[in-house]
Amino acid sequence: MDVALSVENLRAYYLMDYFGIKREVRAVDDISLVVNRNEVYGLAGESSCGKTTFLKAIAAATRPPLEVVGGSTRYSFLDRDIYALSPEELSEIRWKHLSYVTQGSMNILNPVRRVRHSFVDFAFRHLGLPRSEFFGAVEQHLRRLNLVPTVLNAYPHELSGGMRQRVTIALATICRPEFIIADEPTTALDVVVQKDVLAMIREAQQQIGSSMLFVTHDMAVHANITDRLGIMYAGHVVEEAPTAQIFHEPRHPYTEHLVASLPRIGDRTQRTALPGAPPSLADPPSGCRFHPRCPLAMDICREANPSLTVLSANHRVACYAVSPHVKPATVIPVTSDSTTESAGLVE
Amino acid sequence: MLSTLRDLFRYNREFAIGASLVLVIVALSVASFFSPYPAIRSYVVPPDIPPSWAYPLGTNSRGQDVFWQLSAAMRNSLLFGISVAFISRIISLAVGLTSGYLGGFADRVLMSINDSFVVIPLFPILLLFFFLMRDHMSWPLLALAMASLGWPYDARLIRSIALSLRTREFTTQSVFSGMSTRKILVEEHLPYVLPIVFATTMNNINWSIGLEVTLSVIGFTNIETPTIGTMIYWANQHTAMVAGVWWWVLAPVATVVMTFIGLFLLAVSMNEYIDPRSRLARMGA
Repeated sequence: MDVALSVENLRAYYLMDYFGIKREVRAVDDISLVVNRNEVYGLAGESSCGKTTFLKAIAAATRPPLEVVGGSTRYSFLDRDIYALSPEELSEIRWKHLSYVTQGSMNILNPVRRVRHSFVDFAFRHLGLPRSEFFGAVEQHLRRLNLVPTVLNAYPHELSGGMRQRVTIALATICRPEFIIADEPTTALDVVVQKDVLAMIREAQQQIGSSMLFVTHDMAVHANITDRLGIMYAGHVVEEAPTAQIFHEPRHPYTEHLVASLPRIGDRTQRTALPGAPPSLADPPSGCRFHPRCPLAMDICREANPSLTVLSANHRVACYAVSPHVKPATVIPVTSDSTTESAGLVE
Repeated sequence: MLSTLRDLFRYNREFAIGASLVLVIVALSVASFFSPYPAIRSYVVPPDIPPSWAYPLGTNSRGQDVFWQLSAAMRNSLLFGISVAFISRIISLAVGLTSGYLGGFADRVLMSINDSFVVIPLFPILLLFFFLMRDHMSWPLLALAMASLGWPYDARLIRSIALSLRTREFTTQSVFSGMSTRKILVEEHLPYVLPIVFATTMNNINWSIGLEVTLSVIGFTNIETPTIGTMIYWANQHTAMVAGVWWWVLAPVATVVMTFIGLFLLAVSMNEYIDPRSRLARMGA
């Protein structure tokens, strides 16, 4: 199978230095994953587990204090790492090959200008069509996605949230990018509109044959749209498998609890909550980051972080309790002096 | 456009009054082009005649028709006000938008310059400027001087909006799509701040006409050109109020007050038209 994106050992930290006090938040810590061509890869996890940070890192849209401190991000349409590109090359490939539907993306339309202008501003350069043909192409694209071309003449506030979201998706797919990054595009919508928007995303993705990385904390949405699913916890991917497999036989204790918490029709048993709260990423627990809340925690869990190990054909999991084959991850060396200082100064 | 104006006239009392007043002022200014006498010539009509059918606003002690004098004065004052507002708008937009968008070091430098201009006392500076330029004093020069003093308040206002705009999703996405900084400022942020700029333009015209009158009344401008201020200056020189030629003082004062009120009301109602959201509310009403 063709690989569209391969991320290896990606680490993105928030490096802060306020009045001499250094602080390091390891929001994305050693993530490796592969997204295949024509596949929708889902990432699930609770708030502040590093989902959005991961997306920013692979889109090379990091801004200080967020910094990518290690690892590689390679797209199939690029001959080298995305971080090896110059700013000009980067802005050239964005939108055309790589589009990014950001969180709260229905607000990417400028509130004081007509939707038409947003299309011109964002996509005109990248589409490379003369002005006379540009709007023809835009209208055709909108029609393909079952949108009326008259939305172009509307102001964003004249459209409903769902409509704005659809326009945004049309905007993100207009250049037929090879790779689409979508960060919670359905979060603010009710389930009816959500269903429509998801269908539209799926349709757009299949029409142009692109790959997609889809992030949301809503497991129902994942069940609907994604082919494969990665579960994130505290900056790590702890389990990865085809979506159906995650739902039917979750292996990692965190995933197990996550799936068990989902309501099922006819099932009246009380759902039990996992005690504790996700750890602070500035001062993560030693070893496996899940061990303080884990019902299966063993001695080794406190000492070394388990690596994401292949269990079966396309099932990977990072937990010692699941399989004896799971080995500790290689210890990542301290990046600079600042980290040693931070250990004592955090608080 | 025409229907918008009609709607504004019908539903917005501030706009109706403001626009009417400004229209009268503009008509008065335009009338100066049809003046039978050049505005700077004196003793073209009999002096000190009270308002009558032949001379609707009377004539002054220098043998000038007050109506035509006022017409030329209003045109010059208005042009002065508009050019000051125009130049200072450009400065405040450039400073405010770049400072707010770039942030960091650029912001600190620009805002420290800005704040220095805020605390500079304008009036003594302008007096000093007059003494320095005495022989070369001209209206464009004064307009330039006032424009370069009249921008900092609005630059700060615009910066505060730009600060919030830079964190909005549409800015992030513009950067992501590869738009240049200049394009983001002009295409994305400028339309957003325009309503405020329009309102402050009116206020700035008011401010600069007011300051022009102040300077002229005490004779610190080029008094050869008729403006509202120099008209009052000459009336004072001829002790018009003591001599009983009250129409010579009343005419410019009444006109400039009308201008102030008209522009102020326009500034207030301008937002209604510019902001598409309130335009929509009005259509619904």
